Amino acid sequence: MTPTTLANVDLVSYLPLGLIITMAVGFAVANVVLTLIIGPKREGKTKGIAYESGMNPVGTARKRFNVRFYLIAMVFLVFDVEVVFLYPWAATFPNIAPGSPDGLMWLIRILFFLFTTVIAYIYGYRKGVFKFD
Amino acid sequence: MSEKLAILWPEIILFLGTCVVMILGLSPRIEARKACAAVAAIAIVLAGIVGSLAPSGGSALLPELMNYSKGLIAIIGLLLLLLATGTVDRAEERAIAAGQRTFDPLRATRGEFYAFFLFSLTGLMLCASADDLIWLFLALELTSLPTYVMVAISTRGTRSQEAGVKYFFLGALGAAIFLYGFALLYGGTGTTNLTEMHAYFAANGLNPIATAGLVISIVGIGFKIAAVPMHFYTADVYQGAAASVSAFLAFVPKTAGFLAILAIVAAPGWAYGTSGESLPPELRVTLWVIAALTMTVGNTLALMQTSIKRILAYSSIAHTGYMLVGVIAGPGDGSFTQNGVAAVLFYLLTYGVLNLGAFAIVACLEHDRGDTTEPDEADHIDDLKGLCRTKPVMGWVIVISSLGLLGLPPLLGFFGKVPLFTSGIAAGEIALVLVLAINSAIAAFYYLRLVNAALLSDPDPKGETLRETPLPLRRVAAVVATGGVIVLTIAAGGLMTAAEQAGTYAPMTHDEAERYLEAAGRASQAAELPEAP
Repeated sequence: MTPTTLANVDLVSYLPLGLIITMAVGFAVANVVLTLIIGPKREGKTKGIAYESGMNPVGTARKRFNVRFYLIAMVFLVFDVEVVFLYPWAATFPNIAPGSPDGLMWLIRILFFLFTTVIAYIYGYRKGVFKFD
Repeated sequence: MSEKLAILWPEIILFLGTCVVMILGLSPRIEARKACAAVAAIAIVLAGIVGSLAPSGGSALLPELMNYSKGLIAIIGLLLLLLATGTVDRAEERAIAAGQRTFDPLRATRGEFYAFFLFSLTGLMLCASADDLIWLFLALELTSLPTYVMVAISTRGTRSQEAGVKYFFLGALGAAIFLYGFALLYGGTGTTNLTEMHAYFAANGLNPIATAGLVISIVGIGFKIAAVPMHFYTADVYQGAAASVSAFLAFVPKTAGFLAILAIVAAPGWAYGTSGESLPPELRVTLWVIAALTMTVGNTLALMQTSIKRILAYSSIAHTGYMLVGVIAGPGDGSFTQNGVAAVLFYLLTYGVLNLGAFAIVACLEHDRGDTTEPDEADHIDDLKGLCRTKPVMGWVIVISSLGLLGLPPLLGFFGKVPLFTSGIAAGEIALVLVLAINSAIAAFYYLRLVNAALLSDPDPKGETLRETPLPLRRVAAVVATGGVIVLTIAAGGLMTAAEQAGTYAPMTHDEAERYLEAAGRASQAAELPEAP
């Protein structure tokens, strides 16, 4: 087994990775720079304190959360799990022989699964999870 | 995989019904909210029709089990649904109708209640077509998880919340135990498919790991059927929940548990061993001890109760013990009188109808506490006093249901119990049948107490607040269940034939099993062993 030297590696195959990293860094830097240039600057006491997800950073930890916090978290979880299941499905789907009846069956199955998450979303919406007043 | 889909249509119908009900229950319009129960009923009826007419499938060991079970589940499920009307949101809806409050979706639980009801029935139907341990586990949990919430939301009181939490934690314990058993079964046989597992057992015999897996699975599933030693929750949970939900708990998880136990016991099979006519001894002893203890504990503890729901809870434990006799007896020669599996399946039907009638009496009688609060259920045995004179319909419902559960000859319960006796005797379990006979006699004491209170006692002078429920569908459920006791008694012959067919057991011989394993790419273990030098 010969040791792999850098000369043997085809660096071109890493090009997409490099592109994505460049885009990610570029997007972040561009946003910060753009905010500095065109963003409104209103300094204040509230804006100066540390950000703690909308909570007051100083005080007792035994505060009562609005129950909607948990409801939103549950709805998030529905879509989170949905994506977890979508990924292996998407990775396997191209392996099905084109034109075979299995392909349609697989598509219907995942659509049925997506339908169930839509039902969960409608349920959350009707329950008033997204209504803040 | 597509052939699996063909047997899943009933479950898909129920699931679609669940989706509709869940959304309808949150509608601001009262008509839409009221449609929840109707949509649920339509889904159950359609699922029952499709399920009983579908091509038979599911487990290859009990090939005819599925259609009978799905029909049975739909019939009892529909009656349970009638009984469950008005369980949740009654005070809330009254306040909205009186204009004291506007509809608040966060306070409404009607849609969830019926959705969970249908979810649980979906799980139960899945249990009937299970041929794989993973499928079976998911089906059992889909049956149970909604019931935990149904218990907790069934009344506004803290008692039902306590019952819900208790039920949830013990249910999680039970699930953990039988999941551990399933894992050991997989470890011992290398497959989760029950048919392949059966072939493995028929070709190679049991090994210690698989035996431990079988025993632990059965003890864990004992939670679902409320068998000793997993019965402790029963009385508290049934008493804490609303009577309609208790009736649900006494039928749905129990049926799921029995279908699961039949599927698992069928894997080593009743034709195990060289003699080819008995259960493996370890399994037989486990089931024997559980059956005898369950009957005795259930009946003895029921003697001391004054709450009707507690009496019925302990009686449901005792009935679990009776049905386990049929599981031990096994299919015998396949005729109805000797087929223990058919006896269990027929008993599930008779028990489902009779038990529903008995719980319906608690769901239908209530103490009026004025318009401001929810009425209390009439749960004390004194509430039944003189019922045949003051409220004759309700009185005769409890009299006929109690006598039926007792197994008095002309009634349905008798026809349910006889095959348990005969199949037990045919399988040579004379001692267990004696225990069963003695327990049936003990049971007479508390069932006759209910009958005595309703039929022979004078009305309780303190009972002037007692009234029949204003919910008409509940009374319909009570009357239909009681009428069903009489109608089904007349139609018992046809049902017995159906149960006999449903209890068909198709085991493999040693040679068939080896061929099956070879075709599945798994040569039997004996062939893999190197020859002795």
